[in-house]
Amino acid sequence: MSGFSAAIAIASKDLRTELRTKESLNSAASFALVILVLFSFAFDLGRDEFLAISGGLLWLVYAFAGALIVNRSFARELPNDCLDILIASPAPGWAIFLGKAFASFLLLMIVELISLPVFGVFYNVPWVDSFFPLLLIMVLATWGITIAGSAFSAVTVNVRLRELMLPVLLYPLLIPLLTAAMEMTTALMNGESLGGSNSGGLRILTAFDAIFTALAVYLIEYILVL
Amino acid sequence: MDVRNFTYMVYGYSAAWLIIVGFVFLLVSRSRKIDGELKRLKSLVEDRESEPR
Amino acid sequence: MREKLILTLGSLGTVLMLWVIYRVFLGLPAEILQGDIYRIIFIHVPAAITAYCLYGVAVIASVGFLIKRNFVMDSLAVSCVEVAQVFTLVNLVTGSIWGRIIWGIWWTWDLRLTSQLMCFLLYLGYLLLRPAVSDPTQRGVMSAILAIFAAADIPLVVMAIRLKNVRTQHPQPVLETGGLDPSFVAPFVVSMVALMLIGTALVLIRLQQESTRREIDSLRRELHAV
Repeated sequence: MSGFSAAIAIASKDLRTELRTKESLNSAASFALVILVLFSFAFDLGRDEFLAISGGLLWLVYAFAGALIVNRSFARELPNDCLDILIASPAPGWAIFLGKAFASFLLLMIVELISLPVFGVFYNVPWVDSFFPLLLIMVLATWGITIAGSAFSAVTVNVRLRELMLPVLLYPLLIPLLTAAMEMTTALMNGESLGGSNSGGLRILTAFDAIFTALAVYLIEYILVL
Repeated sequence: MDVRNFTYMVYGYSAAWLIIVGFVFLLVSRSRKIDGELKRLKSLVEDRESEPR
Repeated sequence: MREKLILTLGSLGTVLMLWVIYRVFLGLPAEILQGDIYRIIFIHVPAAITAYCLYGVAVIASVGFLIKRNFVMDSLAVSCVEVAQVFTLVNLVTGSIWGRIIWGIWWTWDLRLTSQLMCFLLYLGYLLLRPAVSDPTQRGVMSAILAIFAAADIPLVVMAIRLKNVRTQHPQPVLETGGLDPSFVAPFVVSMVALMLIGTALVLIRLQQESTRREIDSLRRELHAV
């Protein structure tokens, strides 16, 4: 079984499981919506002031939802020793990892795309005009969140207090990614384009994705064969 | 302004030293604890080995 | 022999530091613009440099552990990270005090301070993860991976902070003092050497503790076997 077909098989297994039960999809999406509502109570801002923090708010919500989804990714394999069986299978370690990361990526994208219209409605933000640049940022940043998150999910799967340790470890690492995404989203909401001074953010996102995908794939053998 | 400057500089140096010295104390107390644990375990092992079988 | 080494390093470092303080307080005139507070640079910057060196050694030791599975490397990594955190804390506190005098605020989100804070947070996660894992091999591998990920993140953090500052146009307080006056150079270099000596002494003490801990672990196993 070649690596890529193994990765696709594992990704589709995870997606199928998740789409049938909709466990983490429901909880992540509900959590995102609740946080959006909570923030609207927390801040009482005029439109201009709000546009200045719109990017920050959106990506905070996405980061919280992402941690939930990514946490489930490897934790799902714990009952019945499924993780050991996966590792013992002929599928290479990097294929298992990329398959799971890709499944989490798609799930998080679904949650994000659901939350976006809600965000637009609650906060009166003009996201439709700049939808495609926004989609680009979402794809790049979400891949970064899921690849780093899946790596930490694998690392913390057998650790005490896993649900607490994963966010504590993941969020500091994600700060550059989230900062870049937040800055660019705020720029888009304010009507600017992604060129010029905002292109630095794209560079950070691609650099983050490239570096951490390479690191995670390279080091995953050490994590899984513990 | 000058007096306050000087005071804060003293605070700064004191803070730096306090942090380092505090860490040294932490290391020393940890050392004492694990050396005690080591001694205890060593004596337990010797007792077990010297027990008539 | 090791005790003597630690004692020598520690005392030498302390003596050098005392010389630095004497020179800095009595030998140098007050600077017109900043008053006396600028003398704090002689601890602030050397602490940062020492911390970075120690983090570097920790990352190299972590890579070495992944390759060789030698537990001395793991002990070296954790000792270096702990001592580096102490020096980073010194850097943050002295930087904050300096900022309070120069700019009137306890914290500015400028490049230097923020990147040091990020270093601190990333490796704090490292120190939090270790006690949560009971098996020594697992602990070593996970910490090593975390240390490598954290180190890979730092350049991205610097890029992200730069991006944020460019966009939001914060007044950039610059801690750079440009070319150092010749009379400054000697105390600065000596202070760096002194802090590195103290740091090395602390790392050696910590290494000793780690080897004692390993002895305790093996004795415990022996006891259980008997």
